[in-house]
Amino acid sequence: MIELKGLTKRFGNVTAVNDLSFTVREGEIFGLLGENGAGKTTTLRMLATMLKPTSGTARLAGIDIVESPEEVRGRVGILFGGESGLYDRLTVYENIQYFGELNDMPVREIKKRIQELADAFGMNDFLDKRAGKLSKGMRQKASFARAIVHNPDVLLLDEPTSGLDVGAMREVQAFLIDQKKAGKTILFSSHTMSEVEKLCDRIAVIHKGSLVDIGETEELLGKYGTQSLEELFVRLAGDGR
Amino acid sequence: MKWKHIMIVFKKEVKDIVRDRKTLFSSIIVPIFLMPILFLLVGRGTAKMSEEMTTNITVALTADSYSPAAQNFLKESLETQGEDITIVDPVDDPWEAINSKKAKLVVSLDRDFEDKLKALEPFTLKIYYDNSLSRSGGAVGALRSAITKLNGTIAEQRLEALGINPEILTPVVVETENVARSGDGNMMLMMLLPMIIAMLVAVGGIPAATDLVAGEKERMTFEPLLTTRPGRMSILIGKYLTIILFSFASVISTLIGMLLAFIINPSSITMGLGQIGGFTMDRGSVILCLIVTLLLGMTFSGLQLAISTYARSFKEGQTYLSMLMFVVMIPAYATMMIMPNDIQMYMYLIPVLNTVSAFKLVLGGMTNYTGLILAVATSLVYVVLSLLIAASMFKNEKYLFRS
Ligand SMILES: Nc1ncnc2c1ncn2[C@@H]1O[C@H](COP(=O)(O)OP(=O)(O)O)[C@@H](O)[C@H]1O
Ligand SMILES: [Mg+2]
Repeated sequence: MIELKGLTKRFGNVTAVNDLSFTVREGEIFGLLGENGAGKTTTLRMLATMLKPTSGTARLAGIDIVESPEEVRGRVGILFGGESGLYDRLTVYENIQYFGELNDMPVREIKKRIQELADAFGMNDFLDKRAGKLSKGMRQKASFARAIVHNPDVLLLDEPTSGLDVGAMREVQAFLIDQKKAGKTILFSSHTMSEVEKLCDRIAVIHKGSLVDIGETEELLGKYGTQSLEELFVRLAGDGR
Repeated sequence: MKWKHIMIVFKKEVKDIVRDRKTLFSSIIVPIFLMPILFLLVGRGTAKMSEEMTTNITVALTADSYSPAAQNFLKESLETQGEDITIVDPVDDPWEAINSKKAKLVVSLDRDFEDKLKALEPFTLKIYYDNSLSRSGGAVGALRSAITKLNGTIAEQRLEALGINPEILTPVVVETENVARSGDGNMMLMMLLPMIIAMLVAVGGIPAATDLVAGEKERMTFEPLLTTRPGRMSILIGKYLTIILFSFASVISTLIGMLLAFIINPSSITMGLGQIGGFTMDRGSVILCLIVTLLLGMTFSGLQLAISTYARSFKEGQTYLSMLMFVVMIPAYATMMIMPNDIQMYMYLIPVLNTVSAFKLVLGGMTNYTGLILAVATSLVYVVLSLLIAASMFKNEKYLFRS
């Protein structure tokens, strides 16, 4: 469960995130929808404790991000941007292992977990290859595996499909559905309406850092009487300018 | 901050960098091979130069003052004075002869020198040399000393002919004995070694530092790292230790390189200027000197980490860090010629200079505990300051997420 309470972030004069309050329920896929510059990355960075909120706070799996950032980090897995963020000179195994170690997993458990993940994602062939030598698809699988090596309760994904081709995009979607089945709470941001519509149980629309609306995907569509989320987005977000 | 996390980061960074050929090459491989090559080349050059000045000194008469008698006189009187002098064929133009290597020196004699010699009158021997060529300018000394000896011999003969003991000419007999404890090449080492070590300790971590934060930001691996469990300070210290390790690795590989040069040709290490040996070093001073060096490495590792964190990109990091390199080189070069006796107290208080001074002191076999302890104390302050700067950069969202 993720609970935002008046979460706010200012950079100098710019209010990147303005008093955001909403709750992501346990086990759901939640979409954070907004244009470029709406404040999605900043929100997710605060939730991942990379940035300190100017005011307000949030609780992830019941833990406060301001009070116990370290513990929060142990409970979240992240995938930021379409880039894999792997260390090119380390092997896939070493990349995943590093994050396991950093998240305080015992050596034995890491080994077991990597084997599990390798089987699940079909990575056995390239587990000992350096990340820099892999194809895009292989890197993507490795970065999924790395994000969940410590079996986090919550997954934060910042535009995980940006810059990806259709095939890779499908992989991400399949991954998210799988993780939902495994009981994870998933918050992911996007400006691509179609994928939000398809994947999300609920959606929050933000514009210029503020919450514009929140609700079940179907509900939002019904409420505004628009058939596509695309149009809804234009109506909600476009007006404010 | 947890030691366990620090070590996880440290081990990974070392592994990562060791696999990066570029960084490994510039901080370890290059020093090992560059040093022997540099020292051997320069050493050979200076050795050759000093050899040219003292051996095979060819002297020619000018065509104007040539006569068989003059040629003979020079041969008999100068070739026999213990210097390596050879009289060669006469030449027309002194400058042309010296530059075309026909002779290193050209001389002319008074045409009536034989008559003057017999009449016990002085005659003139004029030496033409080219001071822009070390083989010519440097050879003048050898010719002069041959002539001084010749004057002595002739004077003795004349006095004996008059029935006077030639010893009346030398009321004072001078004897000299060099009591220096160290070889004359130690001075060269005292100039070079402190400078090289201080400079390398201060800049050796640069390739690693650039890669560790600026590089990681650019490759988009930094944000995922920051979302793992360890606190930011653990990550910072892990990276800091890696940079320190590499700044010392570059010093050690340089010293290995110098040792290689020494093994290949012992005189190369002093650039061909004499032997080294006979060091007498005070153990306490050596230890303090090494501590100062370690602290300098830590100070600059901290600064490099701060700069790398501040940089927006890998390129920008490289630019700022190479500026840091110049900041280090200026004091290091400026104090190259300073000898242990000339070290001022304030020099122990300034980064880079403190290490240079400590090494000169130790190599010169001197002790100055006040200076060294002051150096250690101030260095500790610098280490803390640089680490604080790095930490404040590392905590600052503005620099960490600049994209
Ligand atoms: N580190 C930062 N410093 C200053 N301003 C920032 C910083 N990060 C984001 N911003 C500003 O905050 C606003 C929201 O940005 P961001 O969260 O990246 O939006 P999104 O991810 O939705 O595109 C933008 O106006 C952006 O310029
Ligand atoms: Mg963004």
